[in-house]
Amino acid sequence: MHRIVRALGALVFACVAATAGAAYPDRPVTLIVPWGAGGGTDAVARFFGSMLEKELGQPVTVVNRTGGNGVVGHSAIAQAAPDGYTIGLITVEIAMMHWQGLTDLSPASYTPLALVNADPAGFQVRADSPYKTVNDAIAAIKANPGKFKASGTGQGGIWQLAIAGLLADLKIDPNAVPWVPSNGAAPGLQDLVAGGVEFVPCSLPEARALIDAGKVRSLAVFADKPPALYPNLPTIKQATGSNWTTAAWRGFAAPKGLPKDIETRLVAALKKAYESKEYKDFLAQRGFGAEWAAEGDYAAFMAKADADMGKVMKTLGLAK
Amino acid sequence: MKVNDAILGAVFAVLGIAVLWHVQSFPAVHGQRVGPALFPGLIAGGLIVASFALIVQGLRERGGEPWFAAPDWWRSPRHVSAFLLTLAAPAFYIVGVGTLGFFVVSVVVLASLFIVLEVRPLPAIVIAVVATAVIWYAFYKLLRVPLPWGFLQAHAF
Amino acid sequence: MGALETAFAMVFDPYNLWVMLAASVFGLFVGAVPGLTATMATALLVPVTFFMAPIPAIAAIVTATAMAIFSGDIPGCLLRMPGTPASAAYTDEAYAMTRKGQAELALGAGLVFSAFGGLFGTAVLIASAPALAEFALKFSSFEYFWLVLLGLSCAIVITAEAPLKGIVSLLLGLLIACVGLGNPAGYPRFTFGNTELLGGIGVIPMMIGMFAVSEILRFVVDTGPRALIVDKPIGNIFTGMWGLAKKYPLQIFRGNVLGTVVGALPGAGADIAAWMSYAVSKKFSKEPQKFGTGYVEGIVESGSANNSALAGAWIPALVFGIPGDSITAIVIGVLYMKNMAPGPTLFTQNPQNIYAVYLLFIVANLIMVPLGWACIKVSKQILRVRREVLMPIILLFCIVGTFAINNTVFDVGIMLAAGLIAFVLEQNGFPIAPTILGVVLGGMLEENFVSSMIKSDGQLTAFFGRPIAAVLGALTLAAWFLPPVIKRMRKLAGA
Repeated sequence: MHRIVRALGALVFACVAATAGAAYPDRPVTLIVPWGAGGGTDAVARFFGSMLEKELGQPVTVVNRTGGNGVVGHSAIAQAAPDGYTIGLITVEIAMMHWQGLTDLSPASYTPLALVNADPAGFQVRADSPYKTVNDAIAAIKANPGKFKASGTGQGGIWQLAIAGLLADLKIDPNAVPWVPSNGAAPGLQDLVAGGVEFVPCSLPEARALIDAGKVRSLAVFADKPPALYPNLPTIKQATGSNWTTAAWRGFAAPKGLPKDIETRLVAALKKAYESKEYKDFLAQRGFGAEWAAEGDYAAFMAKADADMGKVMKTLGLAK
Repeated sequence: MKVNDAILGAVFAVLGIAVLWHVQSFPAVHGQRVGPALFPGLIAGGLIVASFALIVQGLRERGGEPWFAAPDWWRSPRHVSAFLLTLAAPAFYIVGVGTLGFFVVSVVVLASLFIVLEVRPLPAIVIAVVATAVIWYAFYKLLRVPLPWGFLQAHAF
Repeated sequence: MGALETAFAMVFDPYNLWVMLAASVFGLFVGAVPGLTATMATALLVPVTFFMAPIPAIAAIVTATAMAIFSGDIPGCLLRMPGTPASAAYTDEAYAMTRKGQAELALGAGLVFSAFGGLFGTAVLIASAPALAEFALKFSSFEYFWLVLLGLSCAIVITAEAPLKGIVSLLLGLLIACVGLGNPAGYPRFTFGNTELLGGIGVIPMMIGMFAVSEILRFVVDTGPRALIVDKPIGNIFTGMWGLAKKYPLQIFRGNVLGTVVGALPGAGADIAAWMSYAVSKKFSKEPQKFGTGYVEGIVESGSANNSALAGAWIPALVFGIPGDSITAIVIGVLYMKNMAPGPTLFTQNPQNIYAVYLLFIVANLIMVPLGWACIKVSKQILRVRREVLMPIILLFCIVGTFAINNTVFDVGIMLAAGLIAFVLEQNGFPIAPTILGVVLGGMLEENFVSSMIKSDGQLTAFFGRPIAAVLGALTLAAWFLPPVIKRMRKLAGA
């Protein structure tokens, strides 16, 4: 009986507190991930979920809304109520899929909170491949257009843009390396090792286990500076002179129209999590790259990415 | 609900033809030899062939049987209402859970199904409330499934 | 202290044993609820494992998934509602046994041979992980194409009574698999502008609808006298297990080997292993006509296959960081987080960790027997609950379980539609298992075919161009064309 009375008391108190307009957040927050459980995006989301839980003092529920190459989950984030109780982890695909005509959503459809991570692509070949440098591979592609295939993501995915954009930048027909669509990087890498394709331009953390196992070699990184994971790896610029870079990035966003005070509260909590020692350890263990930009800076970053992606996708004939 | 094979065959044949017609509008894909139309097209083709075999089989085996044999339960209003309510329950959940919240929808669904299945009203309501509470606790609290609160949102706990 | 002793100390640490016990209860519950899968159990454990040392973190996942794959058999057997997709292959068989009053034999076989399959897969993992992983890495899209085709042929084997209706059912499943954006072209098919349909039609809502909702519909329109389906109480589930082991040694061995190999192949997991080994069991049985009527042989073989697949999936995951199934895809992330990066160095640099993982598998599969027994004891009580009370509650479980997969009521709609369609189809003699198989394999078939065509520049001969592909292709074609040819020749010889 005692317990019931106490529970009722707590209930009454909770109702009173709620009607009195308690400070945000006074109930659990849902964090939507547009990709499946177990992937890199999911890992980042679940990490920040547990950090935000401590910071906000409310449970943060990570919800995977998968399917449609990310369209379904990105839509779910954009369509939620802008009350701070639904936020999401959006990914580079938001700057790509509207060019393909799959959705009307673009980076401008959200209230940007903070960019937290970016993983550049690497130029991966099989360990016994004859190519020792990216220039070797480029020369072979130039001599035999259409012969060598690449894989690592679906049709029109980010890693296809990495290699196609590089070829276009080097004034080679971007269709000289036909793309074999795959359901993510893992099957693409499997096919690389099995001898099905020649190149997999996926991110370095995705290829890391096979690189360390001596099955796969990375020739260069599609970034301005060598990655923390493999500091001796040359950049594409060092190897070929091209300025082309590609990275998959992830950042938190809320539905459009989020009240400013809640935005400030969330960004502060995210910044604290980003700067924590736990996040540094997490990044080091997973081999992920750190990247920070908040609110206005993040919006500018996404707008630039959006324009860049659109340009490449149009040259490739992938944009509608 | 025994329907002659020929009728089901005709339904599947129509489905196959509709798919086959629809996939004609699928575009070829840049850089791929096989477009998105090939697989559904092949499957629809297979479905049409199999459907015609079904139609032949149904006509051959028909004999004196009716095209459509109504099952016993069609004449029992209680069974028909139980059948319709079982279908209506998930439908009600879909449209109602967002505004009414999990608690209300779950209790209504359970209690009405109990009653149509001839559980006495008082136990029906008690079991509905208890089962709702148990399921809510298991899914919302332990498995962290965000079951909607609906209009009770302000009183969420 | 040597590496092995350290491993023992880590595994038999009281905290670790407590974690394993808690994970067992969690896994048994998740597996027994239709809609909640072993993959989901793993995903839910991830945030919890953040706060654990590496070995307890892995222990939680290993134990929970092994228990979930087994306990998926329980509602399948008692109520004809498979708890996880890995149990769907032999649900009808197990339920038929329950109706014959042999529930204890079906559940006992499921439990004992699940544990045995898990131990066998672990033994293979210990003995030959690097070699088997090396073999699995030779599979490119050509080999997978044949493998999937071979898997689809299973649909024909398991529905030999009504082959035409089985084919229609399979084609419907394949057609459903086409819906959405998840095809190699990335083109939205049959979505009619709907965002949710872009994601395709999920196999789990389909499965819950086709098995569980249709079963509830059958119950509510049953005009016969209201009787408990099982008149006989469930006896000792361990009775007769030794007899089964002696009677079916070859079947058990075959199921274990097939399960481990299919599990070790990236992308094919416990559910595909169960389907394939059930079909193999029927194909090579001395009494194939008894399959589907409540006959234990197929359960023995496929029940052990799905649990051995679970261990098999860890092989490429540990050696190369390539997930063998959706569970190990999550595990790899956890391994990285716990400073146990997958790769050959995992086996050489800190061998105590890998020994501990082996031990965890062994312990998890051993405690499965007593805990599974207790779980069966508890769940058989549900048969005593009046069905008019039980069925609405199960319907609500189905709704909430379906919602939980992706947190969308759209899937509840899929479940409802699938349930009604399955009800009508079954009333007219269409088997529904092939539809599920079609949805599971349809996407893989197309992906691998399209990938292969791009790689071979459209040359069909390339499908036989690699040694393993040629063997698999020959096997598939033989499975299709040999039986009718042999039949023909026998007829000719007889005449």
